[in-house]
Amino acid sequence: MTRFLTPAKIGLLALIELYTDAVVPSSSTIPILSFIINQLLPCAYKAQPREPKSLRTLPFILDLESFEALLTSHPAAGGLPGRSLWDHFLRKLWEIDSLDALHEFFATRGNLLARNREEIKKDGELGIPPPSDDMILLSRTSPLGSFIRRAKVEYERLRFSDTLSLWVAFVEWREESRTYWAKRNGGLERWAGDRVLAEGQEEWGLEATEMLEHITYGALSKENSNQGGISTDDVEKLLEFQVEQMQKLGNRIPHEVKEQFKAVLEKNIIIPSLSHYLNFLDAWRAGDYPTSFDNLHRYFDYTMQSRDRLFYQYALMNLAVLQADFGCFDEAVAAMLETVSTARENKDMACLNFALNWLYHFGKAHPKIMKGTDSTNILGVEREGLAFLRIKAKETGMWTLWSSSLLSEAKLGMSNGESVATAFENILKSSQLIVEKNMKSMMGPQMAMHSSLWGRLGVAHLSRQYCDIFLTCHARYALFDDTLRFTTRVAHLLAERGRYDEAMEKLEGLDENSLRTWKSNQYWLKYRGILRLKRDLHRNNLSGADHLLSQLTQCNSSDTDTDLAYETNTLHIDYLIRRTNYGQALAKIEQMASEMKEEGDDLNLRIKLLTMKALLQDKAGRPQKGFSIAIRAASIAWRARLIPALWGAMGAIANILTSLSEFQASSQILVAIIPRALEYENCTLNAQLYSFLVDAYMGLAGQAESGSPTRKENLTRCLQFIDQAFDEYSTVEDIKGQCEMMAKKATIMRVVGDNVLANDYASAYLDLKKGLSVGA
Amino acid sequence: MLSQRDAAEMRANLQEAVVKCSERCLYQSAKWAAELLTSLSTTEDSIEPEDSQMTEVPAAAVPPIVVTGNVDPEEAQLEAKEINQYLLAKSFFDCREFDRCAAVFLPDTVLSGILSTAATKNPNASAPQGKGKSRGSAARTSAAPVATPKLSQKSLFLALYAKFMSGEKKKDEDSEMVMGPHDGGNAINKQLNVISRFLETWFLEHTNENGSVDGSQGWLEYLYGMVLAKDKNEAQAMHWLLKSVHLYQMNWSCWLEMASLIGRMEDLQQLGQRVPAHIFGFIFNIHTSLELYQSGPDLSARLDQLLSIFPTSPFILTCVALLAYHTKDFVTADAHFSNLLALHPHRLDSLDHYSNILYVMNLRPKLSFLAHLCSAVDKFRPESCVVIGNYYSLLSSHEKAVQYFRRALTLDRSCLSAWTLMGHEYVELKNTHAAIESYRRAVDVNRRDYRAWYGLGQTYEVLEMHAYALWYYKRAAGLRPWDGKMWMAVGSCLQKMGRDLEGIKALKRALQADSYYDAGVGSSFGSGGRERAAIMDPEILLQIAGMYERLEDEAEARSYMEMCVAQEEGAAENLDSSVINIHADSQSSEDDSRPQGGGDTGSGTGVTAATSKARMWLAKHAMRTGDYNRAMQLATELCQDGVEVEEAKALVREVRVRQEADGL
Repeated sequence: MTRFLTPAKIGLLALIELYTDAVVPSSSTIPILSFIINQLLPCAYKAQPREPKSLRTLPFILDLESFEALLTSHPAAGGLPGRSLWDHFLRKLWEIDSLDALHEFFATRGNLLARNREEIKKDGELGIPPPSDDMILLSRTSPLGSFIRRAKVEYERLRFSDTLSLWVAFVEWREESRTYWAKRNGGLERWAGDRVLAEGQEEWGLEATEMLEHITYGALSKENSNQGGISTDDVEKLLEFQVEQMQKLGNRIPHEVKEQFKAVLEKNIIIPSLSHYLNFLDAWRAGDYPTSFDNLHRYFDYTMQSRDRLFYQYALMNLAVLQADFGCFDEAVAAMLETVSTARENKDMACLNFALNWLYHFGKAHPKIMKGTDSTNILGVEREGLAFLRIKAKETGMWTLWSSSLLSEAKLGMSNGESVATAFENILKSSQLIVEKNMKSMMGPQMAMHSSLWGRLGVAHLSRQYCDIFLTCHARYALFDDTLRFTTRVAHLLAERGRYDEAMEKLEGLDENSLRTWKSNQYWLKYRGILRLKRDLHRNNLSGADHLLSQLTQCNSSDTDTDLAYETNTLHIDYLIRRTNYGQALAKIEQMASEMKEEGDDLNLRIKLLTMKALLQDKAGRPQKGFSIAIRAASIAWRARLIPALWGAMGAIANILTSLSEFQASSQILVAIIPRALEYENCTLNAQLYSFLVDAYMGLAGQAESGSPTRKENLTRCLQFIDQAFDEYSTVEDIKGQCEMMAKKATIMRVVGDNVLANDYASAYLDLKKGLSVGA
Repeated sequence: MLSQRDAAEMRANLQEAVVKCSERCLYQSAKWAAELLTSLSTTEDSIEPEDSQMTEVPAAAVPPIVVTGNVDPEEAQLEAKEINQYLLAKSFFDCREFDRCAAVFLPDTVLSGILSTAATKNPNASAPQGKGKSRGSAARTSAAPVATPKLSQKSLFLALYAKFMSGEKKKDEDSEMVMGPHDGGNAINKQLNVISRFLETWFLEHTNENGSVDGSQGWLEYLYGMVLAKDKNEAQAMHWLLKSVHLYQMNWSCWLEMASLIGRMEDLQQLGQRVPAHIFGFIFNIHTSLELYQSGPDLSARLDQLLSIFPTSPFILTCVALLAYHTKDFVTADAHFSNLLALHPHRLDSLDHYSNILYVMNLRPKLSFLAHLCSAVDKFRPESCVVIGNYYSLLSSHEKAVQYFRRALTLDRSCLSAWTLMGHEYVELKNTHAAIESYRRAVDVNRRDYRAWYGLGQTYEVLEMHAYALWYYKRAAGLRPWDGKMWMAVGSCLQKMGRDLEGIKALKRALQADSYYDAGVGSSFGSGGRERAAIMDPEILLQIAGMYERLEDEAEARSYMEMCVAQEEGAAENLDSSVINIHADSQSSEDDSRPQGGGDTGSGTGVTAATSKARMWLAKHAMRTGDYNRAMQLATELCQDGVEVEEAKALVREVRVRQEADGL
């Protein structure tokens, strides 16, 4: 196995020579050049394939067939008519008829390059005329030129045995074309391709020649080991690509690719250290803590001192991220702090900024752990820290960091309930950066921020639209994690509208291979659990819900996502309420609220919690007790423009007003907010608001004189809104709500005096109840 | 041809030799003898084993048992007693555990006991003559307290040989990196002393009053001779080696040791009467002659004789090829080697010579193939490394070539050709210091390598140390008196030192030698491009003329200048070689065989720088002597040739002026 050269590379060199020989007609120049360039350039610089099919046909290791497929269709510009470029190409290959000819081949590669001044001078001294102007000469720094130079140097530094293995591999590689070439040339001798053997045959006789051939080539060709086919350079390129893909998409290596990798690396004697990193990534993604730890250390053991740069800070950084991912937060923070100090020492701004950014986000996610360490002063106060990061990122040109710090700022503003305009401003700034610098990887956070901002402003369809845009347009280039989040978000929105099956389908439709990543898989599993839990709760399948909840709360330790934890907790409260275990529900709410206060969590969630508390008081039959809470929630929500939360809070207030017999005011509030709330497309909220409205109108009807048109009118309205509420409840399959509505309807009918209908509704109620009890 | 009976006997003898050598772990000898054995022509294959005269080894069918018997009953008894230990020791040797092998028969305590007594008497015993020493009666009595252990000679040989090998191994391990800062080539085999003292004692004990050793079978003598040779005690060494071959003729290693002790043809001739008349002696004679770069019809006739007996022997075929090589008949040499390659494709021995031939012939593809083949067979053989090094040298990758020669030397420090070739590479790399060192090491390994001497001379010449260079050139010329290149080097060197008379002599010899051989391609220096022999080298002629001019011998100078110019047309009109009167010396006998290459005399050298210079000189000379027409003619010729046109034109003008002046 050589470092760089392979038979395929010799083929490329021959192809380049073909091009400079001016046998390539101008119409075929572009496909041939693009073929060569495609092989030479590192994949990072290549444009994303427009038509993925055309590229996929090329194997990783170029074989003769790829050359044949390229060349046969092009006629040659010179030479005999009827000869294609393929013939010319084969001639070049078969002209290398001995080890010495191979050497000659490499030695003459320099002639394809444009001369520099010294060479011209030297040539002049030796009496060699400068090459004529109409020759195609390659610039020394062009991709082709540098490839040629690299190939020359690499050939120079080969040891003899490596040269031999290259030669033998080349002979083997060329063998495929023997029959064609023989046909073209009217038959070839037995020893074509090795001049010495061909010449020696007369002298030695067939048998001895065969013997010699067997000694020199034989043993190798029988085994058909593809030793010389791959070079370290190829493997390194492949590994780099794979690591990049894994880092970009956050996936694991698919099984079949893994097998192939294994096969390639087994043949290789020099294993590039990058392969350890690949193993590390894979093990990390697989959630195999010891292996990933081991491989990370192994990788950095090999690379710590290479290229005259110290990689210690990167090793530490990787370690910290790894530790954090596996829930060893204290170690993670310690490692990251050391990263910061090492990076400072080595003046590695990129690393430092990244580390600080990470620390900031980590601090946001795990404030308790950060408090434990005395590291608060690293970034100062939160906002100052962000500003610092932003400025640093701008200075060092780390666009990703810059845009992410802008987004963080927006997020901070939003969760603190500050000006929406500022948040928008930050988002826009970041958006401009992303577009300007073409940072596809940042598209995910950007879109997520947009989507959640619209969600907070109560425009659900815009929020959903952003999710859809991301999923259809940007998911290909982004981390799988982002894709997963967006999908769950869409699923969440769908579930809010009662489309559980669709939501489940969305989740099921995710890429199976990507879900092999342990973390994503966990998230995915939990989210599916939450969805099912929600549905079970709504269907009043409480025992099933209990089962799910016990599982979910069990893994609701500190390492899960805060959003998921919150969701689980609210569902838990819902469950307790449905179990009419109000005391415990209240305790749970209080506990959550105190935690939130400590951690300074998102305002939105706090308001929701407050509203929930107020409603709980209502359930417990003491709605007035929740008044101040509801008012507080409403005022905060109003200030922070958290529209959906505001409607929820207002609903709670209206309900309290109803309980205080302020029916008019209550109905006025509800009538005012319901149209806006409908925009948010949250069926549960809508149903609740409608049912509150029903209550308010009922109250109004009660205040009116019996039999008066006002009463009648209000009762009709009641019926109408009950229907609405019933519909909403049925979309989310909330049986309990349906029952309630049905009961109310029956009551109204009785009041109206339509006993038949009342009876009907009552029986419908009983049916529902039965279903409910069956479910329970 | 051998008679049937002879052939059978030869076969049996060789078989015995193979077994005996391999019993004593003389692997190379065994291999060599076995090669010879299989190459014995087998036209009459149906010899019954009963016909064989030899009793120990049946000729065919039944392979010999592990060990041979011994004709000496006493020895046989001892051997029988020691058989188990012997087998153990042999297997240790085969596993390259030399010290352990030696310790089976000669534990270190025993050895040191013997040696301590030997040391006390050593001052007495260090009398120079071999036989005189054995009569040191005082020594004999003092040796009595600790007798040498009672061992069969075979076991003793094996033990001591293992000791020797262990010493060699340690020596290799101790020596520094090849040409490294501490590599003076002075690492020594520390066991030599021990072995020689032991053997000395042994021989003392076993020598009877007549001065002959009782019941000795030749092997221990060989070992003693070899040890002495390593100690540079060459006369003694030769004495013991001769003894050995007299006692047992079929030990090729012993013959090889003798060959390496012979530095001159005269030595060989002297030795001629003293070696036993045996086919091995015959082969030895040929081999040594070839080592001494001899050639001639006599040698080739003898080789043909051998070939008729051993038609496919790779060794003999190699000798034939080397003979052709020495006579600079590269095409034939190439053919022979090529044939050898086809017959024995896995044999790497002496392929380094083949690579030299291919190098000189500039057959790059073939050389590359050879390198490929060698590398495929075994890339860690010195021969393979030399072949690869030669290939790289031909590609002008001198660093890589040096690297491979060094590898060859690491594998085998006594690899002569690698040292010399490495010197050449260092010359190419302009590293004269290293070049001199490696040439010097080559010469130390083998004083008969004229290329190393010549290289040394050349290097010193580059350094402008002519006195030194002259000395080395003379050594080279002494080794190859019929090689014009050597003489030319001597001549130019003398010329540079201002010793013109001697220089002229040397150059004349060069001319003469040149006309005998092909010119110029004597070694892998590849100055190349010089013409066939029949044409005298105009350079030399010009040099001779120049020296005559300095000696103010105008007439001679002029005649040589004329001769030089005449070379342009070719040798047809050459002055007869009698013109060049050379002092008669030993070389004259070979002058007779000088071929007057009639076929290719037609083509001359054409215009060269030398002939142009000569023409210019002649033109000027004609001017001086007033022969204006001649001057005019020569100057015009110069103008036509387009060399030094300006000066020639000036000359033409001057001639015209003079002519006009005369005309007036």
